[in-house]
Amino acid sequence: MTTALRDFIKNPTPAELELVARYGAQPEDSRRERAFLAFAETGLPHRRMEAWKWTDFKAALKALETPAAASAKDPLPHEGALVFRFTPNGFEAPVNMPEGIRMVEQPGMQAFPGAENVPLGALAAALSGGGKRPATLIFEITSGNLPRLHFVFSGSGQASFARIVFLIRSGASLNLSESYLGGAGLTSTVLEFDLEQDTAINRAIFQRGGADEALAVTGIAHLGANAEMTQTTLSFGAKVARMETRVVHQATGAKLNLNAAYLSGRGFHTDITTNVRHGAPSCVTRQLTKGAVLDGGTGVFQGKFFVPRKTGQHTDADMQHQALLLEDGAQVFAKPELEIYADDVECAHGNTCGALDDAQMFYLRQRGIPENQARAMLTEAFIAEALGKADDSVREVLLAEAQNWLSS
Amino acid sequence: MRPMLKITDLSAAVGEDSEAKTILNGLSLDVPAGEVHAIMGPNGAGKSTLSYVLTGRSGYEVTGGSATLNGENVLDMDPETRAAKGMFLSFQYPVEIPGVPVMTFVRTAMNAQRKARGEDEISAPDFIKKSRDVAKTLNLDAEMLKRPVNVGFSGGEKKRLEIYQMMMLEPKFLILDETDSGLDIDALKTVADGVNAMRDPSRGMLVITHYQRLLDYIKPDKVHVLAKGRIIKTGEADLALRLEKEGYDGVLGEAA
Repeated sequence: MTTALRDFIKNPTPAELELVARYGAQPEDSRRERAFLAFAETGLPHRRMEAWKWTDFKAALKALETPAAASAKDPLPHEGALVFRFTPNGFEAPVNMPEGIRMVEQPGMQAFPGAENVPLGALAAALSGGGKRPATLIFEITSGNLPRLHFVFSGSGQASFARIVFLIRSGASLNLSESYLGGAGLTSTVLEFDLEQDTAINRAIFQRGGADEALAVTGIAHLGANAEMTQTTLSFGAKVARMETRVVHQATGAKLNLNAAYLSGRGFHTDITTNVRHGAPSCVTRQLTKGAVLDGGTGVFQGKFFVPRKTGQHTDADMQHQALLLEDGAQVFAKPELEIYADDVECAHGNTCGALDDAQMFYLRQRGIPENQARAMLTEAFIAEALGKADDSVREVLLAEAQNWLSS
Repeated sequence: MRPMLKITDLSAAVGEDSEAKTILNGLSLDVPAGEVHAIMGPNGAGKSTLSYVLTGRSGYEVTGGSATLNGENVLDMDPETRAAKGMFLSFQYPVEIPGVPVMTFVRTAMNAQRKARGEDEISAPDFIKKSRDVAKTLNLDAEMLKRPVNVGFSGGEKKRLEIYQMMMLEPKFLILDETDSGLDIDALKTVADGVNAMRDPSRGMLVITHYQRLLDYIKPDKVHVLAKGRIIKTGEADLALRLEKEGYDGVLGEAA
């Protein structure tokens, strides 16, 4: 079978061959095979694919073995949270779990619908598990009163894959945070969220990787009637980092707040890609993405709203992306897309890229604030808006991390 | 006695090389400590350019002459260094800074200036007390100081906030650029009271204005007329009244 797959990826790179070998070492499983085939269709995503034209994993990832760089330190607070840790070979969960949460470590793979849309998500689903790690980790949430669940992903050289499924039962709610701390040549994680009616989730994502690492986080959510999802991402990128979120409004009255801030320094690439489908009437989406990029850094924003003619009526959706090019040589690529077929909707979008305002800079400096500090202050104020909806327990930390980056 | 601000034969241009346009053309002016000097002049005379050149805004190129504050050449300094040396500009059009609350902004500025001068930072309680006292003098609502700098402020509120910053930072040398524009009489009076409270034997002021009206409230020691990039006439406070009556053309015709 391995040979056949090897033939399936056209002109495989060394990294792709290693992935094929890893797949071959897994027990046979038809679901796993389907997911891996979905990945193998294209191999590592590359610039000739429309959805990946600015974020080329194939070119960036020469081999899977890695980096001297250790994982970054986790800035998000562990106190008061249920902490789950993924390391390359292991998985640690709290010994005692409160009522209202049930965790199942599934050794076999669960079906992964829609794999063809998310090649790196499909790869994560196909290769997760092995060693002490579950192939699929499933959480069933039945309480509205749980402490924050905090997931830490860190590596030590090896490629690392994980898949987590959250089933949020009617009336329940979840406060979730995730830290992606790098330390592996390739990390791909896929998280799926099934929100039943009248549920809520507040999800915060912190990502920091090394300049020789590739990282993908794929989130896929289905929102039931009156379900509300709030997501806040703070991403510092890596050699290539793709933070992708796909959301389907499945029933009337669902609400989505989809916010992200990306900060890319020299040699770092951060990609925020989102796809929201208004598959039910009277659903709301508010999306705000802010970025700041230095010389030699790259930011990518790809946002899409899809509003079908019949089911998308009375959609209320707004997409904003604003980027600051802090230095000459900074690059930002943006593609906001609104595909609307319904006629009775309110959909708006805005997209701006520019430098800091000279008049504002002079005003701060005239009052005695040194140039670097003035630039950091203005950029922080600009970015902060995108972090404002994060849960109280993590918001200040996210802001402080952004601030540290800006003043260093 | 050496003047606090001494401008000698200052020339400056705005714009890029080939399209550079000379705005200041051999301007000389002395302001001693303890005095308030007014600069009046028609549109396009170079009044705002003078304030920007003195405070170091980019986009203006000094092509000749010098400007010193207490004997130090300010033209080579960064804007923030000039501020730490005590130079303060009350802006004609105060800038909105979304996301930065007034108190945070002013405290950051104050501590940055103190640090540059080798002084200790102000403590939070001392800062709050000082802010409360200044706000009271200027009839500023405490809520306003928690809002982002100038965002959603009326024209009068913006100008009062400039004076608030001035009174908080206690600069040595004040430049007021068209501080009266956009103010009704009551606001003008509040602003003028604030400026007058800052008058001090150790402090100098340059009040740039279009109209004589502001000078009814802030009495200048000297009035200079700026036209075509230089001071063409200097007189006592009554010169402002003459300008109001005869217009710039009348006075300029006589000087030419």
